[in-house]
Amino acid sequence: MKTQPIDQFAAHLKADTRAAVYDGSKKGYDARIKTLFDHFEDPNRLRVVAGEIKQHVVENLDTYLPQVEAKLKANGVIVHWAATAEAANQAVLDIMRARNATKMVKSKTMVSEETGLGHFLEKNGVECVETDLGEFIIQIDNDHPSHLVKPIIHKNRRDIAMSFEKHGLGAYNDDPQTITRRARAHLRKKYLESDVALTGANFISAESGRLVLVTNEGNSRFCLAAAKTHIAMVGIEKILPRDRDLALLLNLLARSATGQQLTVYTEFITGPKSAAQPDGPEEMHVVFVDNGRTDVLASECREILRCIRCGACLNVCPVYRQASGHAYRSVYPGPVGAVLTPLLAGKNFPAFADLPKASSLCGACNEVCPVNIPIPDLLLRLRDRAKQEHIPSPGTPPMGPWAVLASRPMIWKTALTGGKAINYVSTKLIPVPALHTWENKHSLPEWKGGVFRKWLRNRPAKSSSS
Amino acid sequence: MATCLCDAFYDDVARATVEVLEYLGCTVEFPAGQTCCGQPAFNGGDWEASRKVVRHTVKTFAGDVPVIVPSGSCAAMMFHEALLEFEKEADLPEIEAFARRTWELVDFIVNGLGIKTWPGRYDAVVAFHRSCHLRGSKSGEAATTLMSSILGVTLVPFGEGEQCCGFGGTFSVTFPNISGAMGDLKLDHIRKANPSVLVSADMSCMMHLGGIAEKESKPIKTQHVVQVLRDALKNANLL
Amino acid sequence: MSANREAILSRVRGALAPLEKRAPLPDWDNELIAMRTLRGTVDAWPLFCERLKLVNGVSFESLAALVTWLDGQGWRHGYCDPALWASLKDAFPATFTVETTFDRTRVDDYQFGITRAAGAVAETGSLILTDKTTSSRLAALAPWVHVAVLIRGTIFADLQHAVTALADDPNIIFCTGPSKTADVEGILIEGVHGPGQQAALLVEG
Repeated sequence: MKTQPIDQFAAHLKADTRAAVYDGSKKGYDARIKTLFDHFEDPNRLRVVAGEIKQHVVENLDTYLPQVEAKLKANGVIVHWAATAEAANQAVLDIMRARNATKMVKSKTMVSEETGLGHFLEKNGVECVETDLGEFIIQIDNDHPSHLVKPIIHKNRRDIAMSFEKHGLGAYNDDPQTITRRARAHLRKKYLESDVALTGANFISAESGRLVLVTNEGNSRFCLAAAKTHIAMVGIEKILPRDRDLALLLNLLARSATGQQLTVYTEFITGPKSAAQPDGPEEMHVVFVDNGRTDVLASECREILRCIRCGACLNVCPVYRQASGHAYRSVYPGPVGAVLTPLLAGKNFPAFADLPKASSLCGACNEVCPVNIPIPDLLLRLRDRAKQEHIPSPGTPPMGPWAVLASRPMIWKTALTGGKAINYVSTKLIPVPALHTWENKHSLPEWKGGVFRKWLRNRPAKSSSS
Repeated sequence: MATCLCDAFYDDVARATVEVLEYLGCTVEFPAGQTCCGQPAFNGGDWEASRKVVRHTVKTFAGDVPVIVPSGSCAAMMFHEALLEFEKEADLPEIEAFARRTWELVDFIVNGLGIKTWPGRYDAVVAFHRSCHLRGSKSGEAATTLMSSILGVTLVPFGEGEQCCGFGGTFSVTFPNISGAMGDLKLDHIRKANPSVLVSADMSCMMHLGGIAEKESKPIKTQHVVQVLRDALKNANLL
Repeated sequence: MSANREAILSRVRGALAPLEKRAPLPDWDNELIAMRTLRGTVDAWPLFCERLKLVNGVSFESLAALVTWLDGQGWRHGYCDPALWASLKDAFPATFTVETTFDRTRVDDYQFGITRAAGAVAETGSLILTDKTTSSRLAALAPWVHVAVLIRGTIFADLQHAVTALADDPNIIFCTGPSKTADVEGILIEGVHGPGQQAALLVEG
């Protein structure tokens, strides 16, 4: 029997890729534990408070969005709104066209991955260069990121060396330092030739309108030192109430993502460069993007909008480690993706209904989440939704007959005794597909139906069966 | 609450639960109408079917005595998960009341009854698999507290102890390749620690890991925490 | 555009309308994010140096030591903030070529860039740069070495204090060690787009 898509993907994943994903994830997890628990008295309390702050924002977006918009405008930022991916891409293109701009450098932003901005701009004659090393490699390979913070976790140095050679970035050399130096030389030309820098935002403070961007490589800083126009594409859920909340979230973000205390470059931007500064954008635009977020807000899974895209849930997830990011078939892989992807898919929900089921519900994702998102609960809600929408779930045993059995004690007791048959006859004769799947991998323990109850009945009265 | 897995496969876990609770001076009632906690359907996404079973369970266990269950996962079903699927149901308060008097067995012994050390003797190198449903609960710590106090027990840690064994209810048959690979990995870590027995507070993990090991013809002895407690008493003629 | 704005805001209001109550904004105490190992530290400068070292940055307490280091590595062509150069130039031997305007057409000619820091964060080893104090964003980024001149009294104890005292400046950046990546097989490589060396030079206020 063919299992669900993500299981098939895992079954056919190259051993190399699995090993790369596994090692990368495990490293991230170990580093996180070390910094959080070495550094703080009560790291779990940080997560809980951060989660409460984000939940407050999510449930008060009607207040915060106009507030942050007013702040941005007062700071000299031009604010745009985009209800859909298409509108977001178009808004960016319009800004570029109005300035006869044809060259963009792009710092890693998940929301632009979501809207497919890069391909859209290329089709419209704009050169759009990814500057994060991993994203740059993804771009030249025409590949997809497979992790939120380590986009090329699925590739090894040999893969990269080959694609550099193919794209004229020097003869084959798989030394990571050489690869990095070549990208440095290539990309700094791109920064300096660019007209527009596109970034996302990790956070935006409603109190001051400060937009916070973090990168380790310094690519976002280079974008904002070289280009004359800055466009930030920002999901509507990225707001934090106060500047001091930024400190709490920044303390959690880098530790959760990579185990660093703080990301190397943490930039607070309130608008175009100051007059005396020779480098940097003379104008700044913020495009607030919905693209399905308000649907998520209206759903019973709105907690997922707390997500700060750290990737900790991917790193710890045993399913992600086995299946890799591409198995999730979307921009957001891993546990967060298993919730967000089907929700953001709108009418296309059935195509991703397998994702929430591809979880043992172990809860590790919730345990590491810096904003304490109850991911397992949300996965379960989506399973219930899929069932209510009658979306088939191959391989999941039918639960209706079981519920009848489990709510009628007489039948239950009969089944317990009758079940003994499986100790004597071949289970192949029993028409329960789940049993056969089980037996491909496991032995079944001996059936002991009714044995405990008989023991309890037949012993001298002490405790009772009532 | 004996759980469906005890009813069908792990009769001795249920028996040990009764023996241990009685040793501690409790009187155990066993409502004969009990079946299952409803979790298979809940995890399988069929909440309507699950609610039916939960309602049956709550009715069967009517009263006000504590409900003790030798399974972290069934306990979590009662005190957390059932609340989710009953959010919009009129009888939510009854489910909540039931949740408040449900205990995972080891948590009950340590934090309910205040027992911190365990008498008797149990000579074994124990690998304790902290099943996932113990996350965020006091049961995992309770289990290690009790076991490490038993004469003869050596608890051995093993790699990636925080990781899931891969069972996950219907997950194990709906995503058999991923579930199986997770199980292999877990067994690999456990075997490296070379324990004489693998102990858990959930039969489902035991069934998954034990079943894979058996199928590979490299069987591994699995025991529920309460069997260890009971056997420790027996070995010292305390029972 | 305004249609999009109204569409989004009305959808937001619609989505939130059924909520009986909204999650309150929690208050939290600074103690929550105090790093336990650093509690009670008095002198910020040694702590800053120690933390900077942890992220592979270097610190200098004397200009002479800085010049010796640059010279020893063969980094003799660079840029310096014109406002600083007057007070620094005597320490640089004639073998050095130091420019006080940064020419963006030849960014790779500069091996080092010296600019002013607006402050620092001790607990993270971060240097704080602002538009007001940084004479050129590019000069503090493109050369292999960035030297930030830091005044002793401007070091914040921790992130919390630094973030709540952010200057009124359109662009503030915390630089915590050299630019780095671990994208290729998780191996740490420094000097990706920005400096491969991040240095701090302490001066008295």
